[in-house]
Amino acid sequence: MDQLEERMRPEDSNTTLLVLAWLWVGLPLAWGVAITIENATKLFQ
Amino acid sequence: MAFFDRSNAMAKPGFNRWLVPPAALCIHLCIGEAYAFSVFTKPMAQAIGITAPKPGADWTVPELGWIFSLAILVLGLSAAFGGKWVERVGPRKAMFVAALCFSSGLILAGLGVNAHLLWLVYLGYGVVGGCGLGIGYISPVSTLIKWFPDRPGLATGTAIMGFGGGAMIGAPLSVLLMKHFASASGTGVAQTMFVLGVLYFIWMVVGSLIVRIPQEGWKPAGYIAPIASRAMITTKNVVLERALRTPQFYLLWLVLCLNVTAGIGVIGQASLMIQDIFGVTAVAAAGFVGLISLFNMGGRVFWASLSDFIGRKRTYAIFFIAGAVLYAFVPTWGHLHAVALFVLSFLLIISMYGGGFATIPAYLRDLYGTVNVGAIHGALLTAWSVAGIAGPVLINYIREYEINHGVAKADAYSVTMYVMAALLVVGLLCDLAVRPVDERYYLETQSVT
Repeated sequence: MDQLEERMRPEDSNTTLLVLAWLWVGLPLAWGVAITIENATKLFQ
Repeated sequence: MAFFDRSNAMAKPGFNRWLVPPAALCIHLCIGEAYAFSVFTKPMAQAIGITAPKPGADWTVPELGWIFSLAILVLGLSAAFGGKWVERVGPRKAMFVAALCFSSGLILAGLGVNAHLLWLVYLGYGVVGGCGLGIGYISPVSTLIKWFPDRPGLATGTAIMGFGGGAMIGAPLSVLLMKHFASASGTGVAQTMFVLGVLYFIWMVVGSLIVRIPQEGWKPAGYIAPIASRAMITTKNVVLERALRTPQFYLLWLVLCLNVTAGIGVIGQASLMIQDIFGVTAVAAAGFVGLISLFNMGGRVFWASLSDFIGRKRTYAIFFIAGAVLYAFVPTWGHLHAVALFVLSFLLIISMYGGGFATIPAYLRDLYGTVNVGAIHGALLTAWSVAGIAGPVLINYIREYEINHGVAKADAYSVTMYVMAALLVVGLLCDLAVRPVDERYYLETQSVT
């Protein structure tokens, strides 16, 4: 029971949600930044 | 709809405040697509001709240019008139309404493109979508300031960074979708707008589900709120109606307007300008535009975070002094054919343009407190509406005037650069004139409504 309660701590679900939330915005942004940098390098070619 | 009420968005004990910036980014990264709207201009200008514009039947580029201008105008107006409503209903409902407006605006615009009705595109993207832009832009700002009393600049900078970064997602995504949907009978713009409308709705609603409001009296662990006001940071509060009667509001309105005017004209003309002055290829010019987006985004976090340490007034003073010097040197870089210095100058200018947007909410919080900062910020964004029209008009008009009077294309921007430098000097004077708000404007009680 103690172990179950340990696993169910609000801090844990908070951490998972935090990671998911930052990935939700971070991944598309990283994709956009990567494409922008790729295009920007053409300026110096 | 009760789920979206303010009372249901209150944070429970143990809520991690670092969940609020991604919630804000969900909104700002989507509405930031507005900066990428130019990717639709060319295909929309040949919606009938498909491979080339059909004169008399297809829409002209100036007609299409009004879509973005109208959206920015409505952004400012809806932020100004919707600010108090956003404060009252809380961020969750405001974000949801912003998602509804922005997405349905895109879908209406798609229907307008499909039926070739320009008024429907104006109504959809410009008016309905513009309301989504305005409500969405201000919806997370005051919540972030309340969650991060120790670092308001960093918090608002992170969110508003999304508005700068949205174009970096919106532009390539729109291009990919248009390629996918393009056919012998259509350019794929309408279908792209439908798909974007649905995708952005889902993305924005996630933000409205995550966002939470701190319980009254909450403060970060270890944070000791200052008891007495410091020179430029108050511990008291001013409501919107009283803020509108203070000279500081109009000085900051001018500060924002002049900083935006100086930057927004360049953003719109960057590709054409570098091709005119240095004769670089269109592909290289697109690379320059990409770098501008990157610095527009990065500057928002960097400068707003820095302002937490050096103060808002000094941060703006740096923008105006450095900006004026850099603008004054741009014609010289053109004459010397120094592309690298030209690019570097503009990247710094654009980083400060973005920084200006991101630092202003914290500047308002310092002067007026946290109670009505969202509504005051909304009212101040009318400066953006004015600058959104004044900046491009100024840069286009002066360029045309110079070329019509026999000035070479490469030199046609020199006068514009000096005008921009002069505008920034005026902005500096306004910033230096900002003083703490007079005691008589403060609320007697400190209750948060």
